[in-house]
Amino acid sequence: MKPKAHSPKRSLVMNASTSRLRRLGAFLGQGFLFSVTSLSTLTVFFIFYFIAKDAFPFFKLEGFREFFTSTHWYPSGHPAEFGAMAIFFGTGLVTLGAVAVSVPLGISAAVCLSDVLPFNTRQIVKPVIEILAAIPSVAYGFFALVVFAPLLQNHGGIVLSTGAWLILTPILSLLVIVLGDLLADRFPEALRRKARWICTLTLGAAALTGMMMLGNHLSAIQIASGTNALNVSIILGIMALPTIVSVSEDALQATGRELREGSYALGATRAETIMKTVIPASLSGILAAVILGVMRAIGETMVVWMASGNASRIPEPWYNMLEPVRTLTATIAGDMGEADHVTGSARFHVLFAMAFCLLTFSFVMNLVSESIVRRSRKKLGK
Amino acid sequence: MRLETRRLLDRAFSSLGLIAIGVMALALVVILTPIIVRGSGAFIFRSTIEHRKVMFDQWDRGNAGRLETAKAEVAAARQPVYDMLAAFNTELDAMPRADRKPYKQSLRDLEKALAGLLGPVPGERTPVLIRQQYGATRWDRTQIKLDDVLTTEEWDYSDPTALGKLVRTPRVEQFRGTKLEPLFPYVEQNIKAMMQPRWTCYWQFLFDTSKDSHIFGGIGPEVLGTIYLTLGAMFFAIPMGVIAAIYLCEYAREGRVISFLRICISTLAGVPSIVFGLFGLAFFLNTIHISDSKSVLAGALTLSLLVLPTVIRASEEAILAVPRAYKEAAMSLGAGRWRTVMTVILPAALPGILTGVVISMGRAAGETAPIIFTAAVSVGRPLLPLEALSQPTPALSWNIYNLCTEHEAVDEIRHVQYGMVFTLVAVVLLLNVFAIIMRARISKKLRG
Amino acid sequence: MSAAIEMKRASSFAGHAEEDFSLHPAHVQTEDFSVFYGNFEAVKKVNCNFPEGMVTAMIGPSGCGKSTLLRAINRMNDLIPSCRAGGTMTFDGENIYRKDIDVVSLRMRVGMVFQKPNVFPKSIYDNIAYGPRLQGIKNRNDLDEIVESSLKQAAIWDEVKDRLTTNALGMSGGQQQRLCLARALAVKPEILLMDEPTSALDPKATTKIEDLIGQLRGQYTIIIVTHNMQQAARVSDLTAFMYEGTLIEFGATRQLFTRPREKQTEDYITGRFG
Repeated sequence: MKPKAHSPKRSLVMNASTSRLRRLGAFLGQGFLFSVTSLSTLTVFFIFYFIAKDAFPFFKLEGFREFFTSTHWYPSGHPAEFGAMAIFFGTGLVTLGAVAVSVPLGISAAVCLSDVLPFNTRQIVKPVIEILAAIPSVAYGFFALVVFAPLLQNHGGIVLSTGAWLILTPILSLLVIVLGDLLADRFPEALRRKARWICTLTLGAAALTGMMMLGNHLSAIQIASGTNALNVSIILGIMALPTIVSVSEDALQATGRELREGSYALGATRAETIMKTVIPASLSGILAAVILGVMRAIGETMVVWMASGNASRIPEPWYNMLEPVRTLTATIAGDMGEADHVTGSARFHVLFAMAFCLLTFSFVMNLVSESIVRRSRKKLGK
Repeated sequence: MRLETRRLLDRAFSSLGLIAIGVMALALVVILTPIIVRGSGAFIFRSTIEHRKVMFDQWDRGNAGRLETAKAEVAAARQPVYDMLAAFNTELDAMPRADRKPYKQSLRDLEKALAGLLGPVPGERTPVLIRQQYGATRWDRTQIKLDDVLTTEEWDYSDPTALGKLVRTPRVEQFRGTKLEPLFPYVEQNIKAMMQPRWTCYWQFLFDTSKDSHIFGGIGPEVLGTIYLTLGAMFFAIPMGVIAAIYLCEYAREGRVISFLRICISTLAGVPSIVFGLFGLAFFLNTIHISDSKSVLAGALTLSLLVLPTVIRASEEAILAVPRAYKEAAMSLGAGRWRTVMTVILPAALPGILTGVVISMGRAAGETAPIIFTAAVSVGRPLLPLEALSQPTPALSWNIYNLCTEHEAVDEIRHVQYGMVFTLVAVVLLLNVFAIIMRARISKKLRG
Repeated sequence: MSAAIEMKRASSFAGHAEEDFSLHPAHVQTEDFSVFYGNFEAVKKVNCNFPEGMVTAMIGPSGCGKSTLLRAINRMNDLIPSCRAGGTMTFDGENIYRKDIDVVSLRMRVGMVFQKPNVFPKSIYDNIAYGPRLQGIKNRNDLDEIVESSLKQAAIWDEVKDRLTTNALGMSGGQQQRLCLARALAVKPEILLMDEPTSALDPKATTKIEDLIGQLRGQYTIIIVTHNMQQAARVSDLTAFMYEGTLIEFGATRQLFTRPREKQTEDYITGRFG
């Protein structure tokens, strides 16, 4: 058998010039790809540089002290005052509020999504989350300003008490059941059944009375302005939900089935498995999710600009969510329209100083969450 | 703990999660419902004769003959009102000076309210502003204007501890015993004949320019501006993002440089959108002077930076999802790295990349903060493509903000605001639904 | 001559003299050839030669380095970042691990069929024409001819001739694998490497592929890695047994399976491990 005649044999060895040409081509091509890649990724340095370049003149002109410690914000006054502490405080307050709304909701939803719901239902729920994430921030802002703010202003008491009922009812009923059970365990065996009933009923009645009193108290409240920290916190919380849900769900999924099966095999219920093994194992991922949610809330502009009331003062008392506040992003967006004409003045540069603070904060947060994620990945061996 | 309690707790725990998901879905419904319901009201609503007049005068729409007949009918229905006013004026002239005085102010208020409902009195000089040339164009506005005619409103601050209360009193009280008294029941009963409400589908709302700062007309320039900005942003972001993804997945060797680049990308993804806006202002406009004023180009470039990380990540994921076997097959047939990428990997990754691109488009269309200082103006005409390089544009996202906070007649144009929000949300959601469906098909293909 | 060749020659002179493989010129030849993944030596100083026009089977337990050695022949291991080679591997008289070797030309002359059918998500026609197009053949008639002849060679022409433009992913696994074979043949290679080509197929499709290998014998040098010892016995002229990166025995298939010279080979083929 003779091998069949093949097409003219290609030489395996490249001659020197082809080789050089080929290598040059590959070098140029890779160089091009690399430069486009680095150009698009190094944009972040451009951003840092240009924000910093316009931020430093402010600190040079006005120093740091007033900016960070005073609450007097009159950039257009004579003399101008640049005390941004109330604005920093407003940002913090609104963010805290958003976290209070989104973290418990987001984590329970993530747990439910990863461990409770069957696969088919999950396929329906996921688009809901994606749509929540997709709605433009200005639409949320519009809702907050045009629908939610008047509602709070006109029927504030009812809204607050309904909210309190909605939040507290499940939590309190859980608490009543657990406490009732724990108390009943202290009674002797024979009485235990009766004792359980009595304990649970008493506790339930107590909780119900508390709730009623709280509800009455809340529904008497009148809200002076619907555009306030509470409004913004709720809307921002909803906006941060998708981030928190999807990132922490990924973290929960990453722990793997073996861990869960190990726990189930020892006779743990689903709740115990999740609370005692799955969540501790994925804690760092959940933390990263929370950080990302915080970043989303801090960086959001339109909602806070439209619906926070934009009053640059610290509420009385400081935790009063029903008063208007002002945030960094809203200040930048709102004041730049006027400061634009006076490029070079402290009024112009102070906004860049604020942007610089935002940028630095988000950069640090990002590094923290990245390192948390990386470390947890290493720990899980993935 | 007893087994029963543990089981109960377990169930409670599951239901807590379900409640959380329920709350999330509820939030979505609560937010979307008013936007959809009232937003569609900008397109489909009961229009009055005034709307038809606006359409005919300003946009040459509608049948002239039929409009004239309707106008005549309406004029006939309205004539008693003007007759009564004239009669009252003669009555007023006959009164002693001292009696006349209290009626003067009330009459002026009434005439103003009537002009808001019916438009200017026929035969009088046409007002300069278009908004004063017509009465209420929409039936829902007609109801409110009718209330203004029938009642006066006052704020009651008598209780210093509570907030002010709005009190409405019938206007007829001011004119008891005069010739104007029958005007109020007449207007109330004949409002339909005077306005001729009719269901209309004003689909041109999407394309019409606006007249007299959005009081009449549609949102054409805003829609066009949003399209320019979005397509412009994608024009820059897609090539950059896809090339970066190809490099990171296929060429780069994992090492310090690459992990550094990756940190840069994730940092870029975390930069607040308002900071992008400031950067666009400081760099594109104030430093390299890409255009003399704000412009679509500057806005599109700023937006493209904003969506770049999303495009890179989506493309990377799509490229990594291409089975390695394809790459090996192409290589074994003698394809170089570049040929493999172009002929095998990119085509296979294309649907995935497209999904990411479509989602980023939704993001770019909806973002406001980056374009405030770089591209957006409140009022403008539709731009030609070439003008986009140097001129600012109105855009949906910016004008939603602008119309509901800074417009002089916020309540008058609620329907326009809702229409804009509805349009923007619909566009973004359609893009996302498209992406979701496409992704489902891809995953089915990869599984099957 | 390397030690392995000496050994093999000795074996064929000693016992089975029905065919003298040493008389066939070596098509691919390795000398002290090693492959490293990082610090791990996956293939340890292998010396052997694969004669022209013969079917050589490589057997051994998983992880023994047989696939790595196979993939080294058309330098597919280049795709793995931490992988490097030592020693020499000669193809057609040239050391293919020399710096100035054109890997693209090498791969055009050395075709490969993989473990799982990896057809592109393109039409059947475009799959076959992929390689020729890379070589710059654009003429529609030429392409048609190549597509037809390759599909005929892979005995799949009759099944697909009416649906050349449909997506190749719609075919059955066995058809896809034969399409992959046809695609490799369309480049007109001299050597065909097969990396467990039937491990993902059902018995019927396996038979078809094995029949094809039989038909292609003589026209191409075929090197096939297989887990399945019966398959090696059925299709190959020569068999190489590898264990933990080392080439333990290399010889005529019948001799190796009936009278192995090495203890490890005997243990493996009798099923004592692996």
